Amino acid sequence: MLFEIFKFEIKYRAKRPDTYIYFVALFLYSIVAVDFLFEGELDPLKRNAPIVIARTMGIVSALFMMITSMIMGVSVLRDFDHQMESLMFINPIKKRDYLLGRFLGSFAVLIFIFSGLLFGMVLGDLMPWLDPDKMLPFNFWHYLQPFLYLILPTLFFGGAIFFVSGALSRKLIVVYTQGFFFLVVYLLAINLARNSDDLFLTALLEPFTFQTVRITTQFWTVVERNSLMLPMDGVLLYNRLTWMAVGIIALVIGHYGFSFHVIKGKALKKQLKASSHDQNIAIQHSNSIQIPTFNVHYSILANIRQLMQQALFTFKSIIKEVPFWTIVLCGIGILLISSFNLGTFFGVDSYPTTYILVGELVELTIIFFLSIIVFYSGELVWKERDVKVSGIHDALPISDFTNLAGKFIGLVLTYAILILAMILAGIIFQTSKGYYHYELDVYFTGFFVEVFPFLFLLAILCFFIQSLVNHKFIGHLVVVIFIFSATILLKVLGLDHGLYTFGGADLGRYSDMNGYGHFIEPYLWFKVYWIAISIVLFIIAIIFSIRGTETRFITRWKLSKPRLNRSLLRLGVVVVIIFTLSGCYIFYNTNILNGYATQATQNAYRADYEKKLKHFEYLPQPKIVDVNLTLELYPYERDYSVEGYYVLTNTHSMPIDEIHIQKLPNDQVALEYLNFDRGARFNNEYEEYGYKIFEFNKALQPGDSVKVAFKQTYTTTGFTESSNTHIVYNGTFFDNFHFPTLGYLEDIALEDDDVRKEHGLNPKIRRAKIDDPIAVLSGRSDGDGEEINFEMIIGTDSGQIAIAPGYLQKEWVEGDRKYFHYKMDKPMSNFYSVVSARYEVMRDQWTPAHDSLGNPVNLEIYYHRGHEYNLDRMMKGMKKSLDYFSKHFSPYQYRQMRILETPGYKERAQSFPNTVPFSESLGFILDIDDEHDVDMAFYVTAHEMAHQWWGHQVNPANVQGMSMLSETLAQYSALMVLKQESSEEKIRRFLKTQMNRYLKGRSRERIREMPLALVESGQQYIHYDKGLLNLNAFQDYVSEDSVNIALRRFIRDWDSFHGRKKRKTDRYPTTKDLMGYFRDVTPDSLQYVIEDLFETITLYEFKTTEAIYEKYSKDQYEVNMTLEAMKYRADSNGLESSIGVNDWVDIGIYAEGGNGKDELIYLEKHKITDEVTSLEIVVDQKPTKAGIDPLNKLIDRNTDDNIQTVSEKE
Amino acid sequence: MNHLTITNLSKTYSNGVQALKNVSLEIPTGMFGLLGPNGAGKSTLMRTIATLQEADEGTIALGGLDVLTQKAEVRRLLGYLPQEFGLYPKMSAEVLLDHLAVLKGLTNRKERKAVVQALLHKTNLYDVRKKNLGGYSGGMKQRFGIAQALLANPKLIIVDEPTAGLDPAERNRFHNLLSELGENTIVILSTHIVDDVKELCTNMAIINQGKVLLTGNPLETIEQVEGKVYRKTIEKNELAEYKEEYMIISERLLLGKPIIHILSENEPGDGFEPVEADLSDVYFAQIFSEPSNSLVHS
Repeated sequence: MLFEIFKFEIKYRAKRPDTYIYFVALFLYSIVAVDFLFEGELDPLKRNAPIVIARTMGIVSALFMMITSMIMGVSVLRDFDHQMESLMFINPIKKRDYLLGRFLGSFAVLIFIFSGLLFGMVLGDLMPWLDPDKMLPFNFWHYLQPFLYLILPTLFFGGAIFFVSGALSRKLIVVYTQGFFFLVVYLLAINLARNSDDLFLTALLEPFTFQTVRITTQFWTVVERNSLMLPMDGVLLYNRLTWMAVGIIALVIGHYGFSFHVIKGKALKKQLKASSHDQNIAIQHSNSIQIPTFNVHYSILANIRQLMQQALFTFKSIIKEVPFWTIVLCGIGILLISSFNLGTFFGVDSYPTTYILVGELVELTIIFFLSIIVFYSGELVWKERDVKVSGIHDALPISDFTNLAGKFIGLVLTYAILILAMILAGIIFQTSKGYYHYELDVYFTGFFVEVFPFLFLLAILCFFIQSLVNHKFIGHLVVVIFIFSATILLKVLGLDHGLYTFGGADLGRYSDMNGYGHFIEPYLWFKVYWIAISIVLFIIAIIFSIRGTETRFITRWKLSKPRLNRSLLRLGVVVVIIFTLSGCYIFYNTNILNGYATQATQNAYRADYEKKLKHFEYLPQPKIVDVNLTLELYPYERDYSVEGYYVLTNTHSMPIDEIHIQKLPNDQVALEYLNFDRGARFNNEYEEYGYKIFEFNKALQPGDSVKVAFKQTYTTTGFTESSNTHIVYNGTFFDNFHFPTLGYLEDIALEDDDVRKEHGLNPKIRRAKIDDPIAVLSGRSDGDGEEINFEMIIGTDSGQIAIAPGYLQKEWVEGDRKYFHYKMDKPMSNFYSVVSARYEVMRDQWTPAHDSLGNPVNLEIYYHRGHEYNLDRMMKGMKKSLDYFSKHFSPYQYRQMRILETPGYKERAQSFPNTVPFSESLGFILDIDDEHDVDMAFYVTAHEMAHQWWGHQVNPANVQGMSMLSETLAQYSALMVLKQESSEEKIRRFLKTQMNRYLKGRSRERIREMPLALVESGQQYIHYDKGLLNLNAFQDYVSEDSVNIALRRFIRDWDSFHGRKKRKTDRYPTTKDLMGYFRDVTPDSLQYVIEDLFETITLYEFKTTEAIYEKYSKDQYEVNMTLEAMKYRADSNGLESSIGVNDWVDIGIYAEGGNGKDELIYLEKHKITDEVTSLEIVVDQKPTKAGIDPLNKLIDRNTDDNIQTVSEKE
Repeated sequence: MNHLTITNLSKTYSNGVQALKNVSLEIPTGMFGLLGPNGAGKSTLMRTIATLQEADEGTIALGGLDVLTQKAEVRRLLGYLPQEFGLYPKMSAEVLLDHLAVLKGLTNRKERKAVVQALLHKTNLYDVRKKNLGGYSGGMKQRFGIAQALLANPKLIIVDEPTAGLDPAERNRFHNLLSELGENTIVILSTHIVDDVKELCTNMAIINQGKVLLTGNPLETIEQVEGKVYRKTIEKNELAEYKEEYMIISERLLLGKPIIHILSENEPGDGFEPVEADLSDVYFAQIFSEPSNSLVHS
């Protein structure tokens, strides 16, 4: 019998067209799924690497969970829905056979449908246009293995759950929605998991395994990722078994819960029935009733009333429905349980400012808004037909417009109410955190201007699709696929103009300083344009909507013409005009007033630049030695003009015939003039790249100087879509790379190696080799001149303060403008910033502690009013840094130091001579809890302060290892300052975060991981994260003082302005020099650590396999440990091989401390020489935990097993 | 305005079934019965008149309006009770009727309220007006259907098989409701029950397999067969014989034995006795004289 039912189910499904539609949909999607899901993030992985296949399959299976619900959910329900149950259940079938037969039959069909995923992906990877360099040799097992091990269990448990819930609920609505809900809840769970620390639990419980796969492989190197298949063991195996068990439990519940009877429940719901006696009396009565007179209105006003009636009716019916509240409750639940990411920076939250909160609320709930739209657009289009009231409704004398528009307004009203509720929730949240600065305008803009128009457009799109497709479920599917594809597809194709990307671009980032700035105008224009288009779609939806019984498309096509009545036509004409005019206006602004180039065009331009001009890269050029400029800044017009001169000196030993000037390749920048004080002929051959060559009539002799005077303007006309955030209303910040530079500018050349390859260029050299004799002659300014005399006058709006490096000479007002004259009294780096904003100022002073007669240093923080929270911490950071660095490294070279708050467009701080622009999103609004949090405002300040030494005293050569000399040394210096202020526990957590960042960073390395001392550009995870860890380990080995002595000597010799060695050479220092100083302070026994930490990529694998103790007496415990230690060395391709361990490593033992926490009672370095080591150590307290490298000083991919609980010997 | 003229109306569904074949009808003010078996094309015709379905050929004129193209205008004059319909289960009769009234153009709140109350009284739903429609019995649902069809003084009322599935008492009540309508209005009542037409209609048409077989006043049509109908009680096993010999227009059982009616110009003898003709004889005479194709489900 079971087999009969099984066969019946398959036969039934085999005849249904939707079986094939689902198969084809999956198949087609799977062909391109990798491109969509990994869009450009694939590198350095191969497109068909086993884990890419596995993760893609996991994600696709989640996305298409709705199909599982549609297939499995209806298999029992169908009998009820078609009222076949009486006929079915009367047959002599056993319940088990019926259910199991149906389940297995549907499951077989489901496997058939999802085989589309398997074959689609296979086909996708066989496409002839794929770059063979990005592919592994084809191996069918790479596809089949994850399909069998990952996808089949997913289908099984999903199928079982959906099957059972469909059978038990017997409601079609459950089937329609459960797959969707499953997906939504899942996406949210993922979001939560991202912030969770317990990766094991996440990996265990994640139903679709693509997180599990990610976690299992997170520290795999590139080579491993590109070759290994997923190991079916450990957490992945447990995960699959867990979910299979869930499926089996669901089936068991289904079996016992399913009642094999026709009528669910006990009795039919009692129907209302008046007694016939009452009825008869009533009839007599009813014939005598007269209908009162009334008027029927068809006026415009009546139409509006009808529209409002329809809207309110829709609104009320939505908010009465169960699915709606399910979605809303899910949303509330998510908000309640999720930890808000409040601009969190190294574990420290920001204050719940309104903008951050709005962003977070939107991020956490947007999926619910989208769900409501996608789900209810289908429900509303089908509203009358679902309850069969359409016969009555369709014959009503309302216009097609009133009908659909009323529903639409009702839906829009629903989420307007939800948004208001969220605003209220946000205010309650802020209040609960003791933050009372509710910015209602920011709430309003954040929701109703930033988010609402998109929801509006999407809702219209959904109505359009639902009306045209006329099949609710396929409509949902089309919408979902559209959302996933439309945005990504255009991105893949490199098309990004807001005139054709759905909805246009997002509103830019909000900044407390600059509000929405100049973003709002283009944003609104784009929205007008898109809303106009969407109304056209809505009109099409109206005239194609079903009214009556005609559902064939051809008939609807014929009917649509007469339905386009005069008022719709008028509306259509109006919106088409608005659409056209706004489109033209946008185009005029973005493409005519301003230049627009697609990514492809820009890439071609940059490629050509390199091809034509690269050969000039090392052309000897004079160096900038003097800069004297007058800058007129008009922040509210977003314009500036700068006029002045550079003095250039020929520092080479040969004469220079021609000088090459690079203007910033930006259409808004124009060079009005550029003159030399000696005869020169202008050669405009490369003018299209802003590259100007001037040929001197008489060559510039070695040692000779030339003065170049110029005027440059920056003009903003009209608007562009994503525009420049350097020159803004409040918070302008740009640097000298805006002004003319000398010679070939490497920054213009293409970065991405794939794009370079498309244009026939070799992979980019990310830094010149460390021993490149020419490259070592230039430092951070890339040869334009490293040390300059600097003077600048800045004029700005009278409400603002403008700041450049140097000491303020004079400050005056002229009309409505304010002027500031800055001048540096000694040479400084050729690296300066211009900042202007409406500032408050905090001032203080620092006097050198060891030298009270020394020059005091003026300290200033220029901040945005309202951002006072951490000023004291930053001020303290400046002082403590000055204390430490001037004591241990060298005296501070300036008489002032300023921190300038800048808008959050850049989330970083940057160090210019005695000037540090510091992003508002970084330290100013952090809500630092001294109990638990690392004081990041203090730390970042210390890091930037350290750059006054590492960057502005020592200028590293522009070769490999450059960022170690600037960034790593700044990290080390800041850490040493932080250590004085912070508990060990905090420092340990901070270092652990860095360890994870390093390990993650290296697993994502696209090109090649370099040893620290040879770090190249774009390798933050090395120079920041690994650098901090390894310098910390180094000072732990050789002592802080020794490291500081080495650094002091390094500065003494290599200071750019008066270093002992620097004065004798043109070259700048490299890490090779630094290693010399390090070696000098390192004892022979530890010389190997320099190689391990800096010169190679070395990792350890420490593990404590056993730890027991024996109590000798009250204060004598012998701890016996068995330790495993492996040491790996990675070669330049990422291949790791084990090398013998022969290292000094910490061994630690913990005991219970006074406050109930574990405390280290023993920490000593032991020489570990074997892979397995046994140690006996006697301590005087009862040990709790023990192990190797307990403080994670050395890099170890798995730090959880370093220590173990010690148990008593039996 | 007081005439509905249907001319040469034809409709073929996409699955090849021809639901209407060249139908022409003249429907005056008053109650018009459209009689025919299930699948005769009645509902197709009714939906087409109610602007919900397209015709392939032909025209429908309501006074000066072309029903097939001037749908919006026709809908203002229309009250329509479809054959099968549902109602929002979790809503009360009062709320839904009020909602439909607004959509019908009763935008004045006060007037609308009075009309809704009156119609609820009239259809005897006033006491249950606040109850959810999901709990309504079949008869109550049909009465609600009539109530909404009567909103806004329709000039053309279409009720499609309103009595199907109602018990005799409900049907009775329903007839009472309908009987009041036909005075100034065109009311088209489609049914497969002869008695509905007999009791209510001043004019009628018989339709089968998409064709109009007969139109006229019920009494006049009865006259056409008056004196031609004969009856006989026979044994079951004789039925086949009789079917060959006579044109049997109806057979029913009385106490387990078939009674057959035949149509005959002359006295047939053979134990047949003349009977007074009835509308059902007219109906069956028309239906069975047609070549019987497979029945179409409409």
